[in-house]
Amino acid sequence: MNEEIVKRQLTIRSFHCHEVVFGAATSFVKDGDYYKMTIKKDIAEDLKKSSDLFEDLTVKILKPGEHHVKINSVMDVFPISVKALGNLGEGITHTITGAYVMLTGVDTNGRQICAFGNSDGWMDEKVTFNQPGTPSDEDYIILVDVLIKEGYATKRIGPDACHAACEIMCEPLRANLKKFREGSENEKHVYRDLIHPGKKKVCVVKLVSGQGAMYDTHYFAKDPSGFTDSRSIIDSVGSPIILSPNEYRDGALRCLYG
Amino acid sequence: MGVGPSTKETTLHHFRDPLINLIAEDPDIDFLGVVIGGIPDRNVDKKFTGERIGAWLEAMRCDGAIVSEDSWGNSNVDLAAAMEAIGRRDIPQVGMVLIGTQGIVDQNEYMDTMVDTNHSKEGTETNIVAENCMTLAEARKCVALLKLKMSRKYGHL
Repeated sequence: MNEEIVKRQLTIRSFHCHEVVFGAATSFVKDGDYYKMTIKKDIAEDLKKSSDLFEDLTVKILKPGEHHVKINSVMDVFPISVKALGNLGEGITHTITGAYVMLTGVDTNGRQICAFGNSDGWMDEKVTFNQPGTPSDEDYIILVDVLIKEGYATKRIGPDACHAACEIMCEPLRANLKKFREGSENEKHVYRDLIHPGKKKVCVVKLVSGQGAMYDTHYFAKDPSGFTDSRSIIDSVGSPIILSPNEYRDGALRCLYG
Repeated sequence: MGVGPSTKETTLHHFRDPLINLIAEDPDIDFLGVVIGGIPDRNVDKKFTGERIGAWLEAMRCDGAIVSEDSWGNSNVDLAAAMEAIGRRDIPQVGMVLIGTQGIVDQNEYMDTMVDTNHSKEGTETNIVAENCMTLAEARKCVALLKLKMSRKYGHL
């Protein structure tokens, strides 16, 4: 018989997005059994204005399977989530499935925002889809592409500004997402931080990017998988931190470079 | 050399990481948590991070560890430093990293059980996003190998 002690519980409710369109204002609303995402049609202008480092910025909506498009190097792919109750790692998190944000970028000199090796080219040749870290063939992709001023592809403030700009787009979606009542989700997953007394104690150690400039990993943002108020592992010179399994599963990490 | 498109774990990967879910649901394991260590720039800092990881695991009375990095080349110095610090403290461990045909550039006697995340024909960094990232199959291999090492050391699980 396996004894277990429950330390805390995390509920992740997912809201499945079956359509993403441009429209008058950014919103995420119920649409039949699923949800519909609308992105403000001139959102790119708003995002571009958020930093003096941007020469240009575009936002595209790619339909499921629409992968034969030219892209700059992929910095990150992230889900849009919000804390509905409690702190990171416990309580309730609401997350959007069926649509994920992909952030790409290059500087005006043609230097891709990447470290060693870049993934610019045709997206269908440069991304392995249907992996834990990438969208599936059935998912929408909200592609945010940034043209940054020369030299800022390799300075911390460059990629930081790109990630911060994405937050401007995600905030209204999070505001809608946060308000959905229990039972309106499409899926619900309950995760527990457990102690199994007497069993062998195991740790997972993950070494992540933190050399400096665009090699960076952030943690513990205001919202799961977010950027605002996150801390950089560069600032702690790589010193290890510990996360409970649920904190990790609740999107404690944000990767700045891809 | 360092993190590349094919090895880099995206934010979405961390959110749905197959290894964490696998261990968290395993009734044979008391899962202590996830230690996140950075891969800093300077060699002295790489050794420092590795050593701190070893000290933490010992302080937690950890019986076994799975150590991974989503990087390659020079970053193997960090992995080697961490695995040496853990191994010297006599904690059974399994490493997981892209090995392929390029190998691991910094190795030591404690890196005797390694799981390769290569999925490419070339066996190298391919610049294709997520191609050489850990999948559920590799996560399972890590857990099975760690259980084997722990049962050999402790006589039981």
